[in-house]
Amino acid sequence: MSVSPILEVRNLQISFVEQNRNRLVLRGLSYSLEKGRVLAVVGESGSGKTVHALGLLSLLPAAARISGGEVRYKGQNLLACSAEQLRQIRGAKIAMIFQDPSASLNPVLTVGQQLIETLRAHESISKEEAARKAIELLDKVGIPNPEKRLDEYPFQFSGGMCQRVMIAMALALKPDILIADEPTTALDVTIQAQILRLMKDLQQEYGMAVIFITHNLALAAAIADDVLVLYGGLCMEQAPAEKLFTHPLHPYTQGLLGSLVSVSRKTEHLPAIPGNPPIAGEPLPGCPFAPRCSQATEKCSQKLPPLFAKGSCYVRCWLEEPHGSTH
Amino acid sequence: MVARIEISHLDKTYIRKPWLWGKAMLRPVLQDINLILPENRVLGLVGESGCGKSTLCKVVLGIEQATAGTVKINGQDIAGLSGTQWKPLRQYMQVVYQDPYASLDPRMNVRQLISEPLDIHGLHLQKKEREQFLKALLDSVGLAENYLDRYAHEFSGGQRQRIAIARALALEPQILIADEPVSALDVSVQAQILNLLKEIKEKRKLSVLFVTHDFAVARFLCDEIAVMYQGKIVEQAPSEELFAHPLHPYTRQLLSAVPSLGKKKQLLAPHAFWEESRNEWPCPFAPRCQNSLDVCQYTLPKIKEVYPGHQVCCALENKLSEEPL
Repeated sequence: MSVSPILEVRNLQISFVEQNRNRLVLRGLSYSLEKGRVLAVVGESGSGKTVHALGLLSLLPAAARISGGEVRYKGQNLLACSAEQLRQIRGAKIAMIFQDPSASLNPVLTVGQQLIETLRAHESISKEEAARKAIELLDKVGIPNPEKRLDEYPFQFSGGMCQRVMIAMALALKPDILIADEPTTALDVTIQAQILRLMKDLQQEYGMAVIFITHNLALAAAIADDVLVLYGGLCMEQAPAEKLFTHPLHPYTQGLLGSLVSVSRKTEHLPAIPGNPPIAGEPLPGCPFAPRCSQATEKCSQKLPPLFAKGSCYVRCWLEEPHGSTH
Repeated sequence: MVARIEISHLDKTYIRKPWLWGKAMLRPVLQDINLILPENRVLGLVGESGCGKSTLCKVVLGIEQATAGTVKINGQDIAGLSGTQWKPLRQYMQVVYQDPYASLDPRMNVRQLISEPLDIHGLHLQKKEREQFLKALLDSVGLAENYLDRYAHEFSGGQRQRIAIARALALEPQILIADEPVSALDVSVQAQILNLLKEIKEKRKLSVLFVTHDFAVARFLCDEIAVMYQGKIVEQAPSEELFAHPLHPYTRQLLSAVPSLGKKKQLLAPHAFWEESRNEWPCPFAPRCQNSLDVCQYTLPKIKEVYPGHQVCCALENKLSEEPL
């Protein structure tokens, strides 16, 4: 089965310019996303997962810049697009939802005004028609009394309800790709389960591709088809979800899975990964995980391994180097 | 067993005064809380945001005043204590907060941070002895002794939380109150800090009041767990008993929503929709409850012991499902 990917990221590099110093926080990320697939990007804080998402739509803060690579949406390089071209793609073709729903809505406009604005920005429809559509959308994301709720302000909504509104807004124009940056981190677990259910249902109904960014491996396991593990601005491992969680290849992925506390059994001692995550933008010559890795050799701290292909998986570790290859 | 902390019939109501006119708004955040923290045990308080778990900590620490009921620390009622009377209690009971970026003074180095409580309480005053003590303390939380002269911003989140723990342990307290101490940390570091807390608790025979929203973390660390919902304790049991037989519908709902590897189907199971609003029903959980009956609308459930040590607050206490999840 070969489907042409809807989004192709090639060697994306993002750096922060700080006091005449270039801090490379994303050190070349490549992947392709097919229609209707869910890709989870998993990483700890500072691994570059959010910066990567912002980079896709050129939404980076002023201090950051894209120092290399390309992002192809249906063959069009988004990084070379003009501001006007980007404006037409953002929201309509590629939509995004953020971590803190109450911070992403405008507090002085009603929910209805914000939804109608989104709709009218991309489609030439009357206010009445947009309002009707907005009610439909709110209903779709499971908000009771949508007619009444339309005229309410974000502060009258709880966190979970705000995130539903954000999802409604993101889906308003039936985008091809939805980027969700930690969409449930600020929510309670029961609400989180609802939002995940909603996202999964709508994703299947609309046939969207989703990039789901999270630090929580269990969430990735629940929602994703493919998983990409980021560490120190590099992809450490990329694999289909069922493979990654049953047979993780990279020592970092193994360590992460091992250090999860389980709710279904009592653990006496956690096999924690020693040490601390690397500081973003201070690259080591070798593998960024080498200082914390129990299996690291001298080679690991001197030379950065490339991504080795292993069946349908990719892994950046010298231990997985195919035999007989000269690199 | 000696009770380190004994909380009985504790109520806390926040009063919101109107800006100009109108009636003051009363918001009950803790209602009829009864808890005992025994010696050398970890008591977990689990609940979602806004359920009152942090407020309970504040009342125990004396930061907030209780509206009704009593809190006894080592047998001493804390109501109306003066600052001088509090001082020995503070040495006896210390706290670790959630966010190590906010809880450490950025202008103090580690030596000053940990020495401050020692100076206040007049402990280890001799220079040489103090130095030895500080080094041993840092070592016990897994930090190198040359970190003493560094400032908080030079450390990562996990290291900062270690400093915060060292600071809390400096006075050699008997009680440690930990308010979501691992929630702000990355997964790989969270495991380190959880191991450290467990080790310290055992070594120092600490009694810990451990607040968390994460059942997995609670299971790892706690001997006993109280589940809170909107200011009330809805279920309380020894940790393993609670996970083997979760009784209250809220506990069951919460447990089934915890994301966990290999629980994919359950996590995505459809959940009934509810609006998270305060209501006038006697049982705060009734509007969300899948088992609720008419009786829940007019009967205030009382907390009852269903099994030895396992209490549940539900009108349906005899008809609850006991199947493990």
